[in-house]
Amino acid sequence: MAGLSRVDTSRIGRWWRNIDRVTLSCVGILIALGYILMLAASPAVAVRIGASREMFILKQVVFLLLAGGVVLVVSSLSRQAVQRLALIGGILALGATFLTLVHGVEIKGARRWIALPLMSVQPSEFLKPFFAVMTGWLLAERRRRVIFGSIRFPGMLIAFACFALILLLLKAQPDIGMLSVITMVFFIQLFVDGLPLLFVGAGVGAMIAAFAGAYVAFPHVRSRVERFLHPNVGDHYQIDTALRAFGNGGLTGRGPGEGRVKDLLPDAHADFVFAVAGEEYGLIICLGIILVFLVIVIRTLLKLMRESDPFVITAATGLVAGFGLQAFINMGSTLHLIPTKGMTLPLISYGGSSAISIALTLGMVLALTRHQVSASPISAQYATGGHWTSLREGPIS
Amino acid sequence: MAGNRPPHNDRTRPTRSPTGNGQDRGGPVRQEDRSPKRARASLDQMHTRLLGVGLGFFGLFGAVALKLAFATVIMPMEPEKRQIASQVPDIPKSDPKGQLTGDFALPDIHRATIIDRNGQTLALSLPVAQVYANPMELIDPAEAARKLKTVLPDLDEAETARRLSLRKQFVYIARDISPVQEIAINNLGIPGIYFEASERRHYPLGRTAAHILGGVDIDDHGIAGVERHFNTRLNTDRTPLRLSLDVRVQAVTRDVLQTAKDEFQAIGAAAIVMDVNTGEIIAMVSLPDYDANAFGKAPADSRFNRAVTGMYEPGSTFKLQTAAMAIQYGIAHIWDRFSTIPIHIGRFTISDIKSDHFAPWLALPDVLAKSSNPAAAHIALDVGAKKQQDWLRLMGFFDRVPIELPEASRPIVPSLRNWGLSTVMTVGFGHGVAEPPLSIVRGTAAFVNGGILIKPTLLARIQDDNSAQEADGANPDGTNTETGPGSGIGQGMKDGATGSAGKIDASGAVVPTAFRPSGGSATGSAPSASPALPRPEGIRVVSEENSALLRKMLRLDVTQGTARSAEVPGYFVGGKTGTAEKVGPNGRYLKHVNISAFTSIFPMNAPRYAVYVMLDSPHPTPKTHGFVTSGWNAAPTTGKLIARIGPMLGLFPDIKNAARIDAEMAIPLEPGIPPGRRALGPGNDPGDPRIAARREKAEKAASKAAEKAARAARRHSERG
Repeated sequence: MAGLSRVDTSRIGRWWRNIDRVTLSCVGILIALGYILMLAASPAVAVRIGASREMFILKQVVFLLLAGGVVLVVSSLSRQAVQRLALIGGILALGATFLTLVHGVEIKGARRWIALPLMSVQPSEFLKPFFAVMTGWLLAERRRRVIFGSIRFPGMLIAFACFALILLLLKAQPDIGMLSVITMVFFIQLFVDGLPLLFVGAGVGAMIAAFAGAYVAFPHVRSRVERFLHPNVGDHYQIDTALRAFGNGGLTGRGPGEGRVKDLLPDAHADFVFAVAGEEYGLIICLGIILVFLVIVIRTLLKLMRESDPFVITAATGLVAGFGLQAFINMGSTLHLIPTKGMTLPLISYGGSSAISIALTLGMVLALTRHQVSASPISAQYATGGHWTSLREGPIS
Repeated sequence: MAGNRPPHNDRTRPTRSPTGNGQDRGGPVRQEDRSPKRARASLDQMHTRLLGVGLGFFGLFGAVALKLAFATVIMPMEPEKRQIASQVPDIPKSDPKGQLTGDFALPDIHRATIIDRNGQTLALSLPVAQVYANPMELIDPAEAARKLKTVLPDLDEAETARRLSLRKQFVYIARDISPVQEIAINNLGIPGIYFEASERRHYPLGRTAAHILGGVDIDDHGIAGVERHFNTRLNTDRTPLRLSLDVRVQAVTRDVLQTAKDEFQAIGAAAIVMDVNTGEIIAMVSLPDYDANAFGKAPADSRFNRAVTGMYEPGSTFKLQTAAMAIQYGIAHIWDRFSTIPIHIGRFTISDIKSDHFAPWLALPDVLAKSSNPAAAHIALDVGAKKQQDWLRLMGFFDRVPIELPEASRPIVPSLRNWGLSTVMTVGFGHGVAEPPLSIVRGTAAFVNGGILIKPTLLARIQDDNSAQEADGANPDGTNTETGPGSGIGQGMKDGATGSAGKIDASGAVVPTAFRPSGGSATGSAPSASPALPRPEGIRVVSEENSALLRKMLRLDVTQGTARSAEVPGYFVGGKTGTAEKVGPNGRYLKHVNISAFTSIFPMNAPRYAVYVMLDSPHPTPKTHGFVTSGWNAAPTTGKLIARIGPMLGLFPDIKNAARIDAEMAIPLEPGIPPGRRALGPGNDPGDPRIAARREKAEKAASKAAEKAARAARRHSERG
């Protein structure tokens, strides 16, 4: 496949030549791991909640198939199409998030889900990637567009306004985890965009202040932080069980299906799936999983360093940062590195909303980092001459 | 394919760029920025900051990887045992100190073995396994049940298949299977079948010492006997627990007792063999008994340990206590005489069954030998209520008998506040109190071992195997280390006493200084124990002189008294019979329904062992001429028992020196009064019941209450 002829000018042929095949492979690896770990982690949970053993597995097969399809389709979109998708999707997601406050299903004290016939959807999951792309577009646009003759496009201002709106919605749900991830992603985007270091420092300070505020304002946040800081006080059943699962796994793990501690993990199929991997497959495979996440993030960032479109840089950075932070928060809290925060491990944890949202994220990353042949001014020149028209990729201008 | 490739446009294009305007590369659209230079600088800054973000993620994921390495390999948190129980079998611990070498204890067994003093196993745990299944892991329940049936023939195949089809995660299949079966099931290779290692208690000797061993429940916790008393010790220290028992003696005792129980059609029986110097219980039998392997199925009557839990009125056996008390307090002397005339007190009459044959006044040795109730009551009256209570308390008759059995219960004694004259008298001849047989044996042993009240024990004094055998062999025939030269009594009549040492009335010759409480010139009448014998440990209750005297009086009971049937030639048995009428349902004493007991010591010249035999409600036989008193059943049974266990205990009959020893042990029934002393007797009877009766009248109300209490006690003892 890698040697697909360059004379193959079909859509698929071009897609395959220009796509980041390493990242795409990593996504494939993650989906495969998701299947394998769901077989190990979900039956015990399913039995515990009274469902059939296979329920989670069958659903996840569908979710991951969908996710794979979404990655492929979205990765073939043009940059402009990505912008439109983000704009439309972002507005829909924002509306849906607002709807959760009115018609949401309350689970464990938070209104984050909207009940659909076959599944519940968590709109804020989709808000995250779309908002990242929108932010990137707004920030880039302010550099190049002038409105009303002489006024620069107020991209930064609009981005902040959107951010404030999202902040309010998520605080109302409440979904502090999602809120902090979106905040951090937004901040990283501002940082990459060239925010003066003074403001960077101020932003970090503000985030610390906000965290302190959350600690004071939200009892469940406080309790989790307290438990993290004082390991000997309070209930540590979940985290202890997770760490025992890792301990039981050791270097090479107990082997597929041989995990025992995993059966006692309350959320083995979702938040604590990494512990299941630790028990059954051990340190080596877990390091491999971390490496896969790291490769996706770092490789994309390195690719962006050769990129000159500010929109692509900020948008893709936001997407990949959200993805990497989510993976880090999940693994970190499973390992008791940070306070417990319910967040899925991308593509590996069970969950439809999460899988599709991550698929959108990665699909857009792949689309934005796709090799832009027609972006070259030379090719543009050739294009004007009418020679390379067939090579042009999407209607950019 | 590769050959068809066109030139690599991407790379060659910049060099062929006609404009060379590199700045425009990144801005294909609406490049409105006023300064391309600033745009370039801004892009460079973005690239630098991207590097920063990348480094940041590198750090975050590095931290995760590091924490992961700590959690899995460097400092792993051990899973709890129950979480991985089915996965990680218990690994047998090594035994670097070699504590288990030479024992039957298996490496994966936790409860210690119980052995007797010679190392014979009494109780041991063997490994078994519980088989269980996780039906959720089974592929074919019917097939699994069929395969299991081939190894476990008792399995209900259909029921097992049904249970294995349940939507559960845990189903027991079989319990307590052997290691061989465990391997066979394991070899079947059925997924979802698991084993739980455990152990099961076995008592290889079945009924032998069942009451002492007790039993364990399904979780290996002792629920009776030494299993319960030493439960913690047995579950923590795996070295065998060595009991004082000798299973050979135990088995013979049970055999002899069972034969006697059958012969006299008794409803129950008990026997105790105890070392009078160390307090070690050599044998303790209660009949009916049970198979210790089936403790749970044994009826309550069989589980009842008559030797420590049963409370019986001691009857005449207690006259020994009365006599010893009077002698030790200096109130009575062997030459003092006591009236056998029936005493009328209130509605009751204290009399002897065969009083017709008794002389109206009997000397102290004669009182014990003939076992006269009124005479014993007189002695008790002379001592008085307060001193009697003190004595009984000192001898431990008010407390639970100290023994390593949870079954030991409290004796039944009259209320100390209502301890009136009638209580003094009835207790004086062993009625109105109910004591466990072991208390009686303990109290008797104290009079013969030199005067020390020892603490009975079920633990071997020497726990180590090698030294225990040495100690056993140290004194193979104790009878040969007989009375030393210092045995004051009978020195003078050594030659004169021939054969039966019978009716010699060497009144003048026998004036042992030892008899005087203040006797200074006692010629060391210490028990002639061989140096190898351990000294008794405990509180002194009678002086050594009085102990020697009591030994002779006990011997007299066998040579000339009620217990002549207990004599075993060469073993110099001494003892005291006791027959107590049982209390019927209406609260009255039943005629001819007795607790018939005999407490004996042998050999009397150098006491080693106390032997107690009790028969509950024996029937008369043609041989006993219709009698059901102790002298006709318990005493001869004791004789048979001593004849059989003596050699086992390393004691052999000493026929050669029998005459000399008997002469040394002899004491006249009616000793003469030493000059210058006024003996108790006719005309000098401070405790005379007629005088007492007058005093009694004033306390009539109180006495009635006491009698009531005594009756209540009797009823209790019957039920117990």
